[in-house]
Amino acid sequence: MVEAHMMKIKRTIKYDADRVGGFGREIMSVAGCDQLPSCIQCGTCSGTCPLTIYMDFSPRQVMALVRADFKNEVLRSNTIWLCASCYSCTVECPRQIRITDIMYALKQRAIKEQVYPKHMPIPILAKEFAKMVLSKGRITETLLVMQLFLRANWRAVLSSWRLGLGLITTGRFVIKPERIERQAELDAMLATITNGNGKGKA
Amino acid sequence: MSNPSHNGTDEVRIGFYICHCGHNIGAVVDCPAVAEYTSKLPGVVVSRDYKYMCSDPGQELIQQDIHDHKLNRIVVASCSPLLHEHTFRTATERGGLNPFYFQMVNIREHDSWVHTDLIEATAKARALAHAAIRRVRFHKPLETTRVPIHPDVLVVGGGISGIHAALTLGNAGKKVFLVEREPSIGGHMAKFDKTFPTLDCAACILTPKMSAVRSHENVTLWTYSEVVKVEGYVGNYKVTVQRKPRYVIEDLCVGCQECIKSCVYKEPKFSDEFNVGLSKRKPIYIPFPQAVPQVVLIDPERCLQVKTGKCKKTCLEACADRQAIDFNQKEELIEVKVGTIIVATGFKLFDAKRIPQYGYGLYPNVVTSLELERLVTSSGPTAGDIILRDGSKPKTAGFILCVGSRDLKTNRWCSRTCCMHSMKLAQLFKEHTDADVTIFYMDIRAPGKGCEEFYDKSLREGIRFIRGRVAEVTDWALAPEEEGKLVIRVEDTLAGFVRRIPVDMIVLAVGMEPQVDAQEVRRLFNMSCGTEGWFLEKHPKLAPVSTFTDGVFIAGCCQGPKDIPDSIAQAGAAAAEAMALIDRGYIEQEPNTAYIVEEECSGCKSCVVLCPYTAISFDDAKQKAIINEALCKGCGTCVASCPSGSIKQHLFEDEQIFSEIEGVLAYD
Repeated sequence: MVEAHMMKIKRTIKYDADRVGGFGREIMSVAGCDQLPSCIQCGTCSGTCPLTIYMDFSPRQVMALVRADFKNEVLRSNTIWLCASCYSCTVECPRQIRITDIMYALKQRAIKEQVYPKHMPIPILAKEFAKMVLSKGRITETLLVMQLFLRANWRAVLSSWRLGLGLITTGRFVIKPERIERQAELDAMLATITNGNGKGKA
Repeated sequence: MSNPSHNGTDEVRIGFYICHCGHNIGAVVDCPAVAEYTSKLPGVVVSRDYKYMCSDPGQELIQQDIHDHKLNRIVVASCSPLLHEHTFRTATERGGLNPFYFQMVNIREHDSWVHTDLIEATAKARALAHAAIRRVRFHKPLETTRVPIHPDVLVVGGGISGIHAALTLGNAGKKVFLVEREPSIGGHMAKFDKTFPTLDCAACILTPKMSAVRSHENVTLWTYSEVVKVEGYVGNYKVTVQRKPRYVIEDLCVGCQECIKSCVYKEPKFSDEFNVGLSKRKPIYIPFPQAVPQVVLIDPERCLQVKTGKCKKTCLEACADRQAIDFNQKEELIEVKVGTIIVATGFKLFDAKRIPQYGYGLYPNVVTSLELERLVTSSGPTAGDIILRDGSKPKTAGFILCVGSRDLKTNRWCSRTCCMHSMKLAQLFKEHTDADVTIFYMDIRAPGKGCEEFYDKSLREGIRFIRGRVAEVTDWALAPEEEGKLVIRVEDTLAGFVRRIPVDMIVLAVGMEPQVDAQEVRRLFNMSCGTEGWFLEKHPKLAPVSTFTDGVFIAGCCQGPKDIPDSIAQAGAAAAEAMALIDRGYIEQEPNTAYIVEEECSGCKSCVVLCPYTAISFDDAKQKAIINEALCKGCGTCVASCPSGSIKQHLFEDEQIFSEIEGVLAYD
């Protein structure tokens, strides 16, 4: 019982081994992220961001951490998932850094490396959204929301039954997945992108 | 000069004017009330308050009143006489009066700017005004005298500032004496590899100027020399220059350096000052390849012949017929007359050992920015290779900024150039070694033209910037990757945590300080220093290269830290200020000189020795003291010391001063 009341003390100082060499350069090499070296850490992004209030690292800090190769800290931060893609930071940045694009690059990287917060709705939404677009060519909103509910918080489906019922009875709840007409052509395009290491190089 | 149309024996008719100076005076002193008060004082015919007396309408007001009210004395209460005494004297003169029938009252610097109590400040303004009104009654018509200006100029210091000032003056046809303490001119700039923000080669832009000043027909260059005595005053300075013995006759040496090769010391053995101790030289040496003049010199502390008289003198044999080496050379004193002086004595670098936690002197791979500069230079001790003390190439490096600067324990000021200098060195470091370079900074200060762009270039080239003042440098490894490295401990204030960063080499961006002997130089040229020890300009904005001693100007880093463009701009400005004096040909001297009432002089000679300007001599035939008005600076020492009261001073006559005191005390 004594232990339970003891303060947990862990090392907060960062050693050089805490960095992952080359990470910053990899992110900066993603299309749209090449202006990051120019960052002067002015904090305009953090100041304009409507969601900084909930973030563990401010967008400015994320920029600093990426540049300094602190991969683990960045990919595990909630900041990249709270970014709502409003693009305020990108519009205001005095160095024309496309901060939102960098956030996307970081989200992709976090999903790829499976380090995203598993029950947070935003990465689930992102994943399901992408999956649906890739397989059907477009999304079906009702099915996407259902997927999100089931994977993030299935109990919420039960508590929203009245809403669901209303949607079904008025014919607004589409159950049949919608799809585009020439799926094969989309597949061909996606295959080309994927073969080019995802950088769009055919 | 106008005729004294109203002399002191006429009825005294005083015009008094008080200036609001906008809110500067008006917000603290009740100007209309002061004008009301003075209007009732004896002799005051006109008493006015006005928003800006120094404006054209303000000056015209005085002239009009002189005409309309037949005024013969003018008093203006406004700012410091330093700023507008001349303005109002001229206005008085234009009104037809002798300009010295004017008296100024300083109620701004001496009153409204230093007091907050409105009632007390107004009372003080009344007292000061009353004093001036009482005093001006006893003013006499005076004439200014003209003193000719010697056209030659002395430039002290042969760094980039001194060189530029000497060249500018020389090109304008002025004769210049350029005095440099070191054996070669060039100063700090000669030690630099490239210059920010353009990255042009320092030597390539400096050495042509060095050669030009050396060969200039109007410039006399004395290196290895120091100014030891300065006498006289603006326009007429007598300067004594000490030429230290090189033990080599400058006019005979051709710089072939055969003597150096043949010195009995086969290998260079002594610390080389030019390479800041990173290489060795012989007792007979030339400071650096492009030294100007190209003349060798002998270090008397190291040369066996000079020190002990026992040497094979192989250098003499090598010099052969030229016979340029002279072991018996003695120091020489030269006296020159000049009219103006430009002091450009530069700076010294902060001693990094004063901050022991950065390990300079303890860890061999902690170097100063100037040491790295020598390492980067192709003409330096490693021919441009940046290497660690063991000869290997560094893979990582950290630059610590503000070493000694912005710290109340050492130097309070920002040295202004270290951010840019370090970014330049960091770029060169990366270029030469491909190392991972990090700059540790508190603020990046890159305000010069092209400097912010240079900062962006540094960022884009992948130089890392960590904001935080480095706490310590240690070789105590706490993690495997830190073994054998120098570890920098710093808070990365932008990331929000403390970090330990291992590097191979640490560069300390040491700040600038006044020269060690700045105080002696200050006294020599009768200048002032600020609290930090930099030479003080007459006005920080309006007279940045003038000093409080007329005819003495300052340029470059002796006035405060600055980069090369700013130093050159100041040098040009100082040259222009000197030329403005020279080309006018004379200076007008304030007639506040002392004079002797001959009948009363007892011939005791006590004033003769006391005069700091040697303006008083003694006439043996008459047995009376004589004052040379051209030399008198109006200090008043003789006036106060004369036992018989036979020395008086214009503008400071007894009745003027006593009535002024009475005026101050008379206010209610």
